[in-house]
Amino acid sequence: MSPVVVMYITQALHGLAYGMLLFLVASGLTLVFGMMGILNLAHASLFMLSAYFCYTVLLVTGNFWMALIIAPIVTALLGILVERFLLRRVHLQGHIGELLLTMGIMLVILETVKSFWGTEALVISMPPSLSGLVYFGAIRFPLYRLFIILLSLVVLGIMILVLFKTRLGKVVQATVSNASMVSALGINTPLVFMLVFGFGTWLAGVAGVAAAPLLSVFPGMADQIGMDAFVVVVVGGLGSLGGALLSSLVIGELNAFGVLFIPRLAPVLLFAFMAIVLTIKPSGFFGEKDEE
Amino acid sequence: MKNNKRFLLICLLIAVILVVLPHVAGIVKTNVFITFAISATFAVSLNLLLGYTGLLSFGHAMFFGAGAYTTALVLTHIPGIPLIPTVLSGAAGAGLLAVIVCPLLARVSGTTFAMLTLAFGQLLYVVCLKFREVTGGEDGIAGFPIPPFAIPGVFSLNMKDPFNFYYFAIIVLGICLILMWYITMTPFGNTLIAIRDNPRRASFLGIKVQHSKAAILFLSGTFAGVAGSVFALFHNVVSADAVLNIHVSFSPIMMSYVGGLGSFIGPIIGSGFIGLLDEFTSRYIQRVDLVNGVIFILAVMFAPEGIFGLWWKFRNWLSVGMGKRKSQEKS
Repeated sequence: MSPVVVMYITQALHGLAYGMLLFLVASGLTLVFGMMGILNLAHASLFMLSAYFCYTVLLVTGNFWMALIIAPIVTALLGILVERFLLRRVHLQGHIGELLLTMGIMLVILETVKSFWGTEALVISMPPSLSGLVYFGAIRFPLYRLFIILLSLVVLGIMILVLFKTRLGKVVQATVSNASMVSALGINTPLVFMLVFGFGTWLAGVAGVAAAPLLSVFPGMADQIGMDAFVVVVVGGLGSLGGALLSSLVIGELNAFGVLFIPRLAPVLLFAFMAIVLTIKPSGFFGEKDEE
Repeated sequence: MKNNKRFLLICLLIAVILVVLPHVAGIVKTNVFITFAISATFAVSLNLLLGYTGLLSFGHAMFFGAGAYTTALVLTHIPGIPLIPTVLSGAAGAGLLAVIVCPLLARVSGTTFAMLTLAFGQLLYVVCLKFREVTGGEDGIAGFPIPPFAIPGVFSLNMKDPFNFYYFAIIVLGICLILMWYITMTPFGNTLIAIRDNPRRASFLGIKVQHSKAAILFLSGTFAGVAGSVFALFHNVVSADAVLNIHVSFSPIMMSYVGGLGSFIGPIIGSGFIGLLDEFTSRYIQRVDLVNGVIFILAVMFAPEGIFGLWWKFRNWLSVGMGKRKSQEKS
């Protein structure tokens, strides 16, 4: 293979890794939206918070795998508390109230993180078993990024299994399409909402831990990926899991090749893509229900 | 008739206070007041979208920033430009931006609108950081000349004098506020409220919903641009973090909400409240935004109608209580 082709393939793989990471964040966001109609602005902040938890767990135990299990669960518990005690109470005020509430939570998380862990970047070293490169013929690729791709695939697999093959999944799907009907059938929908919100934040938490060694942990780490995740969700169609997967892959690749060819305009490319998609189809790729 | 007189009296009182304020309060407090006036204008312009039309914009900083950057660029590159055209150019820059984005934004509403404005705002922020040659990147543009307010051969007021600048800023922003108030009083203002309450019914009644949304987007953006322009003149420095950052978009939302969305005066009260709170808390703790965030959450949860709404409730409660007492006395 010629070196140029190798470079392109490597870059495409990098794009895939970023896209899958993005999918982990965006899937939680879109799941919560599809279910409760809330676009959680604090989602990316929870992602960042989980990375900080990962740092602390690593400091105490020194085991990355431990951090990968504990940090997302703590984040999910926090998410459940937020849903139970804050979001549920403003549900009657409509979407703008909920959106604004998540904005407030975002501010509070950001400032709390700054006062607990400081504003400087904290470096998390990769676990030794995942550092280094893998070779596919002439292509060299960092093992850790491969791990991120695999991790996302595993999570995606679990998600598909749970959503489409279990009773709980059926309930969730039914609640997405008509919550009051499901409630009338004797199912505790507030509990379902709470669990889905917790699961969504758990996904953000997993992504946060996975991203921590790559990006290093700092208060601004949520900005880029949070923004990208919102674009993914809007482009993919609010509430659509398949749309989120497709658009996060596209955006991952756009990002990777944009940096390669037009480094200064790479972020512009992202928004241009979004503008084009939304001009043609305002509800995104697989968006079904328009508001109003 | 009585109400009209009272209204005039209040206006007169406010005008007198505004005129004497700098001489009573001193320069530092005057500058705090200019900051308040800028943020109040900005918040009211946002409220035209949020409170009147029901469109939540998470990227209103883009208009503020467009106004500020246009003013700074015009002052840097066109030597000898008078003061008023620089402010108008800020308004024009923001208005132009609104014209560019409104074909896309006028088609959507609700969460999609919020996300699209957020994305456009961030886009402008990133572009400003990257295009160093024009915008100065992270350093921004600083030290541009501030022209005097002058009619050649008649008079000239040096705008570097804080008192002169105070009067200039208050008059410009006051005109903006009055114009915006006037807009809400016109039939067009009622159209906006109709769109907020029920877009589909408004459309059936023959209101061109998308056209009206585009129009209010343009107007709101232009007024935000004027606020940004005055901000640039006031600080004599413009940077992406100060005028385009996402927190610049958040603060007018917060101010409008805390003050009360449904009314014209609410955002003004809110910006006064948040401004005073920031002044106060920054003396004691470093994390001003933490306090703001907590207050905001509390406002969303317990006082969705804001300070203005609370005040009305209080008045109602008071009058009901008085009525009861009176009737008891009679019996």
